[in-house]
Amino acid sequence: MPSTTDLEQFLVTGLSLGGVYALSGVGMVVLYRATGVLYLAFGAVGAMGALIAWQLSHQDGWNIWLSFAVAILFGGVITLVYGIIFGPALAGRDPLVKATATLGLLLILLGVMDLLWPSSGGASRSLTMPTDNNTFQVGQISVTYTNVIALALGLVITVVTAAFLRFTKLGTAMRAMANDREITAALGVPVRRVEAAAWFGCGVLSGVAGVLLADLVALDSTSLTFLVISTLAATLVGRLRSIVVTFVAALVIGLITAELTPVSSLSNYRDMTPFVVAAIALLVLNRRRVIMVGRQGV
Amino acid sequence: MKTEASAPAAETAATSQGSALAAARAGRRLEPRSMVRPAVIAALLACVLLFVPSIFSLYYVDAWTQVAIYSIVTLGLGLLVGRVGMVSLGQGAVLAMGAWVSARLLFATGLPFPLVLLAGGLITMVLGTLVGLPALRMSGLYLALITLMLAGAITVVLQNINFPNGGHGFTGYNASTVHIPPIRRPAIAASDPAFFRYSVVVAILMFLLVLVHLRGRPGRAWAAIRQSEAASLAGGINTTLFKLWAFALASFITGIAGGLVAGSFRYLNSLTFSTADSITLLAVVLMGGAYSMTGAIVAAFLLKFLQALLNDWGVSPDWLTILFGIGVLQVLTTAPRGIVEQMPKDLARLGRLIRGLLGRPTTTRESAE
Repeated sequence: MPSTTDLEQFLVTGLSLGGVYALSGVGMVVLYRATGVLYLAFGAVGAMGALIAWQLSHQDGWNIWLSFAVAILFGGVITLVYGIIFGPALAGRDPLVKATATLGLLLILLGVMDLLWPSSGGASRSLTMPTDNNTFQVGQISVTYTNVIALALGLVITVVTAAFLRFTKLGTAMRAMANDREITAALGVPVRRVEAAAWFGCGVLSGVAGVLLADLVALDSTSLTFLVISTLAATLVGRLRSIVVTFVAALVIGLITAELTPVSSLSNYRDMTPFVVAAIALLVLNRRRVIMVGRQGV
Repeated sequence: MKTEASAPAAETAATSQGSALAAARAGRRLEPRSMVRPAVIAALLACVLLFVPSIFSLYYVDAWTQVAIYSIVTLGLGLLVGRVGMVSLGQGAVLAMGAWVSARLLFATGLPFPLVLLAGGLITMVLGTLVGLPALRMSGLYLALITLMLAGAITVVLQNINFPNGGHGFTGYNASTVHIPPIRRPAIAASDPAFFRYSVVVAILMFLLVLVHLRGRPGRAWAAIRQSEAASLAGGINTTLFKLWAFALASFITGIAGGLVAGSFRYLNSLTFSTADSITLLAVVLMGGAYSMTGAIVAAFLLKFLQALLNDWGVSPDWLTILFGIGVLQVLTTAPRGIVEQMPKDLARLGRLIRGLLGRPTTTRESAE
C-alpha cells in the first residue's frame, strides 16, 4: 500500500486536475444548455491554444502571460466562428447530429496540429507556467501556485456561472433557451446573440483548460484532445444540466485518477477512471427509462 | 400537346381498372431488373477477385486488402448509424478487441483460421455488447459518449497488456522476446494476393449476413426504431432487444474484421489502434453514406485507399484527417446521405451544366429528371 504522504501529495494533483475538469465541464454544460451542442472539440481547441502559447513563448520569445492570453483568445474566437457558421445551420437538428458535427472540427484541428507541430522527432514539448516554481508547504506536502490556480479557477467559475445563470438577464435568456429555443425567440430574446455569448464563453474556458492541462499533464495534441473524455464523464454524471453535480463529479474523477497513481497494481489503468465512473453513474442514475416523443427541450 | 398529356392519364385509368393485370406486368418488369443487379455485382466482384492482384503492385494490393477489411467495419458502423440511428464512437476500440482476441487465439491454438475468425467475432460480440449495455437504454447522445469513453479506456488497456507476441500467460505477451513470430495466416492465403482474395470473400459473407438481417424482421424493426422509438415500442417491438441485436451484430462483424487485421498486419502493437481511429471511422461512414451498403465500401476506400495513395505520393496523412473533418461538417450540413447519393446528383447537375454550356437544347426527358 502507498504511504499516506504519497496519497496526500497526489491529493494536490487530483484536486488541481479536478478543478480544470470542473471548469471545462461547466463550459460544456452551459453551451449544451444554451445551444444544444455538446462541444466534443473542447479538448482539441484547448490543445491548439496551448501549442500556440508554447510556440509564442518558448520559440518566439513572447511574454509568457501574453502568449497565454493569445491561447485563451484563440479558443474563444475559433469556437465563436464555429458557432456562428454551424450553430444556426444545425439548430433544428438532433443533439446527436450537433455533437457529431463538432467531431468534424476536432478532426480538422487534430490534422492542423500534427501538420504544424509534428510529434515525431523525439523532441517533447512542455509548457510550464512561472507559478510552477512558487511552492509553499502544507504540512508534509508541497503545493505550487499552479495547483492553487487550477482548483480556485474551477471553484470560482462554477460559482460565478451558477450566479450568472441565476441572476443576470443573459443567464436567464440562456436558461430559457435550454427549455425552448423557438418560444424564447418569440419572446424577443436575441437568440443568435445569446448563443454567440455562450459559444465565446465556452471557447475561452477551453483555452484556459488547454493551457492548464498542458502544464499539469502534458503538451501533446492527442492526449490533450482526448482529455475531453474526463470532462465528458463529469458532465454525464451531471446529466448534462447540473453545474454543481458536474463540479463535484469532476473533482471526484480528478481525485480518483491521481490517487491511483501510487497504487502499483492500478497505476497504469488510472486513465480508465472517467469511463468507469460514467458507466456506474449511468447504471445508477438511469434505472428508469425515458423515451422522448416529438420535440425535446434540449 | 394535349394528346400527349392525356395519354398517361388514359394509361393510369387502364391500370386502375385491371389492377391484377398491371401488377403482373409490373412484376414481370421488375423481375429481370432485380436479377440484373445481383448479377452485375457478382460480375464486378469476380473481376475484383481475379484482376486486382495482377494489375496492382503489392503495395496497392495491400491497400485493397485494407479496403476490403475496413469495409466490414464501416458496414457495421453504418448499420448502427444509418439503420438504427445509434452513433458509436468506439468502433475502433471494438476492432482492436477483435484483433487482440484473434491474435491470442492464433498464437495459443492450432485452430483453422476461419474458426478463429468466428470465435474472435463471437467473443468481441459479447464484450462489445456488455460494454454498450448501460447506454443502450438511453438516448443516442449517451450511447455516443459512453462509446467514446470506451474507446479511450480500451486504448489504455491495450497499451498496458500489449498485443500477443507468442508469449505465455493470459495476455500472451512476452516483453523480452527478441524474435517475434508473425501472426499466422490461413494456409490457402499465405501470400499477400491470396490474403486479399480471402479478405474479399470474408467481406462478401459479412455483407450477405447484414443483408439477410436487413431484409428480415430485424431490418424492419430497426427501420421502425429509427423513425420513432416511442411509436415502435407502442407497435409491440421490443426496442431494447433489437437495439442490442444491432449492436451485437455490428460488434460481431467488427470482431471478424479485427481477426483479418491481425492476419494482414502479422505484427500488432498498441500503436496500431488509436482513440482517434474511432472518430475517423465515424467520419468516413458519414461521408460515404451511412444509409446504404455501397456507402460502406466508399467509406473504406476513403479511409484506406486514399491513405495508401497519399503515402505513396509523400503527402502527410494529416491532410486526410483535415479532409475528413471538413467532410463531416459538409455531410451533416448539406448532404446527409453521403457521397453515394450525392455524387450521382452532382454529376447529373454537372452534366446539365456542360450541356447548357455547349448550347445543345435539353430534351424534355432530361429536364424532367
